[in-house]
Amino acid sequence: MQKRNWKSCTAVLLASSLGLLASAHADKLATIKEKNRLVCGTQNASVPYAYQNATSRTFVGYDVDMCEALAKGLNVELEHKPLSTEARIPELKMGRVDVVAGAMAYLPERAQQVDFSLQYLQGNIKVLVKENAGIKSLADLAGKRVCASKGSSSAAIAERVLKDSRIMTFQDVASCNLGLQSDKVEGFTAGELVLKRFENDSRQSANPSIVLAEPTYVERIGLVVDKGNPELLAAINEVLRKMDASGELDRIYTKWMGKDSIYKLNRTFKVEPVNAS
Amino acid sequence: MEFDWGFLGTGNYAQKLATGVLTTLELFGTAWVGGFIIALLIVALRAVPFKPLGMLMRLFVEYHRNVPTVVQIMVWYFGMPQLLPDDLRMWINRGQSEFLFATVALSLNVSAYFSEDIRSGLRAIPHTQVEAGRSIGLSAVSVMRYVTVPQALRISVPPLLNRSLILFKDTSLAMVIGVTELTYQVKAIENLTFRSFEVFAISTLIYLACSLLIMGLGAWFGKRFPPAFKV
Repeated sequence: MQKRNWKSCTAVLLASSLGLLASAHADKLATIKEKNRLVCGTQNASVPYAYQNATSRTFVGYDVDMCEALAKGLNVELEHKPLSTEARIPELKMGRVDVVAGAMAYLPERAQQVDFSLQYLQGNIKVLVKENAGIKSLADLAGKRVCASKGSSSAAIAERVLKDSRIMTFQDVASCNLGLQSDKVEGFTAGELVLKRFENDSRQSANPSIVLAEPTYVERIGLVVDKGNPELLAAINEVLRKMDASGELDRIYTKWMGKDSIYKLNRTFKVEPVNAS
Repeated sequence: MEFDWGFLGTGNYAQKLATGVLTTLELFGTAWVGGFIIALLIVALRAVPFKPLGMLMRLFVEYHRNVPTVVQIMVWYFGMPQLLPDDLRMWINRGQSEFLFATVALSLNVSAYFSEDIRSGLRAIPHTQVEAGRSIGLSAVSVMRYVTVPQALRISVPPLLNRSLILFKDTSLAMVIGVTELTYQVKAIENLTFRSFEVFAISTLIYLACSLLIMGLGAWFGKRFPPAFKV
């Protein structure tokens, strides 16, 4: 009895503080079609996924283009909603957004709370080294010092994958890069896009850096909808498959991460279930 | 809305929360003690009849009252090491410097407020007491030490308690520089599990419980050491 009281007490507390009204709802797809509007959430300051263009002040990025393609594929109007990291799941759960394209990686625990669509992007955690250091693979990093920024997922992954290396955590990625440039560490692990930017910057220097091809971890990224919307999820997956077949997904990838971008990456992922491997 | 607390038993989430609570309490404790000592120092220095020193203390207090606390924390963490030589900076960045800098920033911040609270307490003491103290041969410092400050502290208990509660909640600002206190851990757990409502409800309850405890301690202190006279 006491336990129950406590539980309802917290519920009331939260509900009042968030102005929250829990409501049972039918599949979102019907509402989207009826209102002729898809509310699609993205991050709000995450290059190149979703960020404000400095000159036009509009939101652009890979995820923003995904939202647009999704609305077009569902044949409805798009309402784009930039979200802060803390707000993205509550907004989805409270029904203020229909789908989140937030570069969110699949984790089994996350999948208990929300449903992931087919994979529409992959994120690689990689290692940056000096080109002349003779390090060609992750195995060559044995006994070497590898830097990761404090508290990052790259650091946690490095501890697990690079067991024979000495993982050092610095304050941020810039400090890590400084450590690599001044030979305090032999490797620097972070997301591929971050490393690519540092690799590009080092091109002009006498001793350039290079990103190792082999990733320490592959993040499988899907679009996210609230539980209990099988029809919406199926419709989204259908749009993703069509985009893959028509080459539109390739076009968006090339624009933001491929040869038209500063990253020059090649698309290697397939449109398949996020939990496939 | 259905809450499901079962996930706390899985993984190391409960442990993460526990270390978060501990770090928050450590941060609060060290910043409170540090801030209180600095505040007494400021009060003493402001009483010195030397104008430039008084101006300097006022500048210190005004900086800490008028610049956002989160900015002060970032200035200490990102700004101060820049003034150091490269090697020393690398060494600091490698260690767990964020707790140290957060403590320094919060101590200085709260000391500015504490000193004003104690000073207002001092102003409540009739000046005749100072005159009486001096006339029986006590030095200016002794008058403060034995006559005015002990009374002022008792009078200042309510505003000091008020500020202590704000300091307790301000510890969550240390998250921005990566101190793994409660709010940091809550966000980390939310990001891993997407159980936003549950984790934020838990942190609300923990902050509430600790704040109530601080209020209780303050009330006890106020009863145990009541002011010498009604103000």
